[in-house]
Amino acid sequence: MSLLKLDCATIKFGGLVAVNSVSFALETGDLFGLIGPNGAGKTTCFNIITGIYAPTSGSIWFNGADITGTPVNKIAQLGICRTFQNIRLFKALTSLENVMVGSYLRHKSTLASALCHLPPAIRESQELREESMRLLTALELDEVADVRSADLSYGMQRRLEIARAMATQPKLLLLDEPAAGMNPQEKEQLNRMVRKIRDEHSMTVLLIEHDMRFVMSLCERILVLDHGEEIAQGPPADIKNDPKVIAAYLGEDHA
Amino acid sequence: MIFASRRALSICIAIALCVLLQAGIRSFSDYVHTLIMLAGLYVTLAVSLNLINGITGQFSIGHAAFYQVGAYTAGVLAAKVHPAVSQLIWYVPLAMILSAVAAAIAGFVVGLPSLRLKGDYLAIVTMGFGQIISIIARNQEALGKAYGISVNPKQQMIWLVWLLAVICIAVSRNLLKNVHGLTFLAVREDEVASSAMGVNVTRVKVTAFVLGSAFAGAAGALFAHGVGFVSPDAFAMDVSFIILTMVVLGGTGSITGSTIAAVLLFYIPEKMRDLTSMKVGMLLSIVIALVFVVAVVKRVLDHYHGTLLKKAGIIVGSILVGLAIISVLKKPLSSVPALGTIVEGSKMRMVVFAVTLVILMLLRPQGMFAQHEFSWRWLQSLLQRFKRKKVGVPA
Repeated sequence: MSLLKLDCATIKFGGLVAVNSVSFALETGDLFGLIGPNGAGKTTCFNIITGIYAPTSGSIWFNGADITGTPVNKIAQLGICRTFQNIRLFKALTSLENVMVGSYLRHKSTLASALCHLPPAIRESQELREESMRLLTALELDEVADVRSADLSYGMQRRLEIARAMATQPKLLLLDEPAAGMNPQEKEQLNRMVRKIRDEHSMTVLLIEHDMRFVMSLCERILVLDHGEEIAQGPPADIKNDPKVIAAYLGEDHA
Repeated sequence: MIFASRRALSICIAIALCVLLQAGIRSFSDYVHTLIMLAGLYVTLAVSLNLINGITGQFSIGHAAFYQVGAYTAGVLAAKVHPAVSQLIWYVPLAMILSAVAAAIAGFVVGLPSLRLKGDYLAIVTMGFGQIISIIARNQEALGKAYGISVNPKQQMIWLVWLLAVICIAVSRNLLKNVHGLTFLAVREDEVASSAMGVNVTRVKVTAFVLGSAFAGAAGALFAHGVGFVSPDAFAMDVSFIILTMVVLGGTGSITGSTIAAVLLFYIPEKMRDLTSMKVGMLLSIVIALVFVVAVVKRVLDHYHGTLLKKAGIIVGSILVGLAIISVLKKPLSSVPALGTIVEGSKMRMVVFAVTLVILMLLRPQGMFAQHEFSWRWLQSLLQRFKRKKVGVPA
């Protein structure tokens, strides 16, 4: 059984078909890349998977259950968490607090006990705080734990988004252009980190990226989208030499 | 250990203040008595609106409506129950709880549309809700129409008023200390991202409205019993705006700010009741001088990078120039026939109030406390800094 399966997912905005009958399946432990030129429908695919948009037709299966049309927060509870292309951190909160919001999914104490400041609620918040701190350390962000997230550097903000998503302890982690705007060293660091996340936390990772070298060196399987349609799928070596992919990126003449 | 002792210290201070208040109350006049009660109610109102506006980021400008629902619930209840019951000692606290429940239901009803609306649109809905409540109260025979209803027993429970304020502050603060509270802040910052983290945005918003309006409703019941009378005028639109001003002036999101701003904004207009009357021309010259001083102070604070002494010098200088402007302008301006009318002192206070607000917002738009809170740790670090300065050790 696949962890995630898109079955002929299609979404139309008025007359525009943003994603047209895309199907793919992710197995547990995959490092899967989603690439394509600008406007190919990659982020829209993410939005369908995480429930921000419901597909016009087709279905999405996660862990053997149909999750088409499930609300966003329910999907996060099922174990899919994402980062955003245009960083959406909680700006006024510190790094640690951002990650703690991610860990909220695992809270057990009721709101009433939190409002009365009862010992179980205090203890739980303390535990989640320590857990979040460990996660920040793992992503080399412990030094900026008490800094407002809006004041972090761009690369740190991207890493913090990953930390926040990981705090929900998802089975499937979706990364939307995690390396955008990073310098070569930061990309190298990110590459190591994503691998570590997959190996140590046994997460499945699906990522969108424009940096070809980054994708090719990191991902084990890649799906190429163009104008909302799948044009190729397979291991990086095959994708590199696929004439359709080259045509989509460089124009027909180069194919 | 330190944590526990700090907490004990906070609770001890709160109890000591309540005892002092209760002990001193008998020596106060009825007027002061009412003022202390109203100040406590405004603290509750501001802190509870801060929960909706500041912490959860739902721009509501109809908070007086929840206050009104609470007050009228208490009023109707008092008219319905047998006098023997309403004379019992626990009657007012019970009425307070029932009013809180009624207002919470109203909050739930208003919270529902807020799921779809943001910012200005939500503000209009909450304002509309306020108007609806006010119009219902003005037109229902059972609610006394424009005249209102008298509430028995008339009982000013100062301790209960301030206990409610303390509970309201404690609940807000406990919320922020917990991971639950962080999700409220997260909803304020980014709804899409918080729902992607598994936060039920709908639930958070409705919870904020229900909690905030429950406290406002409880305050309404204590107002009704404290004054012994409710009428639609006591809950007009401007009450909503004054509560909102308290929240913004204190620093949106800061509980400390809301509390202090509530007391100040309540106290300033009361204090100004005995202002001297003056001619319009005199008033005009004062306003011109104030505009000048504020403009200079703002420029100095924002753009001038001198030593503190120099800054203070410029500010004092500008105040002196301002005084000079007043003395030069007051004669010629007052002699203009159109500006010769006399403004009564009692009417002046709202002018002064408004000018104070304008100045404060110009000089500190983020509010008195911005997003900071009072804490023992903050006090400690302040003391340490002060000590270091005295000894002369660089920080």
